[in-house]
Amino acid sequence: MVAFLAPALLIYAGFTVYPVLRTFYNSVHTVRPHGVLEYVGLRNFAELVRVDPVFWKAVGNTAIFAIAGTTADVVGGLLLALSLFSRPPFAKFLRVVWFTPVLMSYVVVGIIWVWIYDFDWGFANLVLRWLHLGALTRSWLGDPSTALASVLVTHIWKWLGFNMIIFLAALYALPGEVLGAAELDNCSGVAKLVHIIVPMLRPTIVNLLVLSFIGKMMIFDLVWVMTGGGPLWSTETVSTYVYKRAFDWNTFDLGYPSAIAVLWFGIIIAFVVMMTRLLRPRDRLEF
Amino acid sequence: MMTGLTRRYLVAAALMMAVAFGGAMSKATAEDVTLTVWSHEADELGKVAFRELAARNLEKSHPGLHVKITWYEKNPLIAALKTALPAGQGPDAFYVEPDQTEYITSGYVIPLDTLVNWTTIQDWARKVWMVDGKTYGLPQEGYTNEIYYNKSLLKRFGVTLPANAQFTQSEFFGLVTKARAAGVTPIAQGVGDRPFPGAYILGEALLRKLGPDDYRNLFTGKLSFQDARVVAVFTWVKTLVDAGAYPKNFMTLKLGESHYYFYRKPGALMLPMGSWYTGRAFVPEDKGGQPKDFPLGLMQFPAMDGGACNECKTGGIGASFAINAASKHKELAAEYLNAMSTPEMGKRWIETIYLQTAVKVDVKEFSGPYASYFKELLERQKGAKYFIGMPRNLITGQCKDTFEQVMNAGFPGGLLPVDRALQTMNQACYKG
Repeated sequence: MVAFLAPALLIYAGFTVYPVLRTFYNSVHTVRPHGVLEYVGLRNFAELVRVDPVFWKAVGNTAIFAIAGTTADVVGGLLLALSLFSRPPFAKFLRVVWFTPVLMSYVVVGIIWVWIYDFDWGFANLVLRWLHLGALTRSWLGDPSTALASVLVTHIWKWLGFNMIIFLAALYALPGEVLGAAELDNCSGVAKLVHIIVPMLRPTIVNLLVLSFIGKMMIFDLVWVMTGGGPLWSTETVSTYVYKRAFDWNTFDLGYPSAIAVLWFGIIIAFVVMMTRLLRPRDRLEF
Repeated sequence: MMTGLTRRYLVAAALMMAVAFGGAMSKATAEDVTLTVWSHEADELGKVAFRELAARNLEKSHPGLHVKITWYEKNPLIAALKTALPAGQGPDAFYVEPDQTEYITSGYVIPLDTLVNWTTIQDWARKVWMVDGKTYGLPQEGYTNEIYYNKSLLKRFGVTLPANAQFTQSEFFGLVTKARAAGVTPIAQGVGDRPFPGAYILGEALLRKLGPDDYRNLFTGKLSFQDARVVAVFTWVKTLVDAGAYPKNFMTLKLGESHYYFYRKPGALMLPMGSWYTGRAFVPEDKGGQPKDFPLGLMQFPAMDGGACNECKTGGIGASFAINAASKHKELAAEYLNAMSTPEMGKRWIETIYLQTAVKVDVKEFSGPYASYFKELLERQKGAKYFIGMPRNLITGQCKDTFEQVMNAGFPGGLLPVDRALQTMNQACYKG
């Protein structure tokens, strides 16, 4: 058994376990010239928490991204799934269209949406001008007041289809007799949704909330491609800031960026534990 | 059953075979060497051809040597080096720029003083890479900061370039407003993928206003951004920004796209850029180059009212190469660097890439389709007092990050008022 698992375990150990442990190790050290490591204890963490305004800006942006994005993803995915569950015309076509963005890479999605948001020739402003709403045109990614929301819209567009598919599968797995009984009792659509469907989908909702939340707390690729964390740090996330401290600052010291990564890891774990405890079902549904 | 004599013969034969095989192996490794080089500028065909030619020349003179160049864009190259070098890996030689001092301070590159033939390199260029008396990089590309402009558009706006090719502050502002009024973008700049172009007008204005010493003091934390002269420059640039000097997609327009914006579509009046402009512009049109009949001109950055050094000009070293301290082929790597730095290669650099070089080259006559450009470029150097290096070469850490966000992007992008910009820069950079 061990021999059978050994190759996979080796790869896991080498590419997951070791980097994580090494990051924890680096976070309490500073890399001096010629690769010399100096133990500094919690100094990196103290500096991070006390005197780094960019870190706190990144935390704020990431929190907004995670909360708003998770809510929109899950609610939007559920609504799309419900619409497909009602078997509208062209349901199969819509399912493919809404799921396709999930299959595209972040780089491709980011480049496409940078073009969409371009002030002069982007589709978003072209539509606004065509609708005689030229006053609403913006440099969507160049304006600190709209940049984060613009990236968020792109992210939601990409991931909505994933949540839709998961919810659709969960809806088809619901016991038909329960839904039938509700209809016999003249239960309205909204009441059926609120009092029967959503409670039965609770485990799926919680799982998707947690997955979506974790993904958004670690968001890097899309932000990096679309804005690089600008303008004026308005889209800086914790992950982009870690990357910049590690690779863009004139230093080989990985201690400080490792401290950011470790601290953020702890924060994400704490939030995930809190979420699962708060959202776990109190009563067991029987049907 | 094996007799003692047979056993001895077998042992001797085995030993002879081992010696012969081991000799054959070591003969193979002594001759077949792969020298690895990592280089930026994968999208600049002229430079690719230049460095590959140097590689082939070196291979001809060293049978068994194979030079393998891996081409990158800048940010992926930096990330690759920052992961490979601390692991004791990485190429034998790699592309560097003078602001990347961390390779020197962390001991990942070696001094080149005894390895490279410095007689072919200009002394001022070598000094850029000297730290504590040792030279750590071989400079290849020289550049000066220029303002490229469309001669036809300038004529259309009824403006004549002064004899010294330098407008005053008010004349430059007038030019910007005239262009904007005519529906032409005055300055085709974008900061979508680079941390410096947005600061050209601002940085060059500061150099001319402050003079080289206080300009250096400003970016080394010894002069406050609240100095009255600095405030005056920021205030003037703000008037340009408010007059619509930059395109609306300034924050997302990429460096390569800004070239296209300037000389193709939609077209603009000016493009402040390093003289490496030619690397993208002087290529075939179907590869993104400027039209053959594009009326290209060069002007100086505007003179500042009461400026301490209006004849000052930023020059610098761009592309350079260094040798990995962990390389097992340091001498061969140095020979590759030397192969790129001969006078013949220096002349080839100028004639095919149309860019200044750090190599000592005596070129008085230019021929070919861009001869007039080069003559005009040399004309703009006359009487200039050079400040070597851009602000990013002088700053590190938080100051560098803030420069990128504020002076490069936020302030010229119209996102910050003068006082906020100055305050933010001071907080990050001023050590007084």
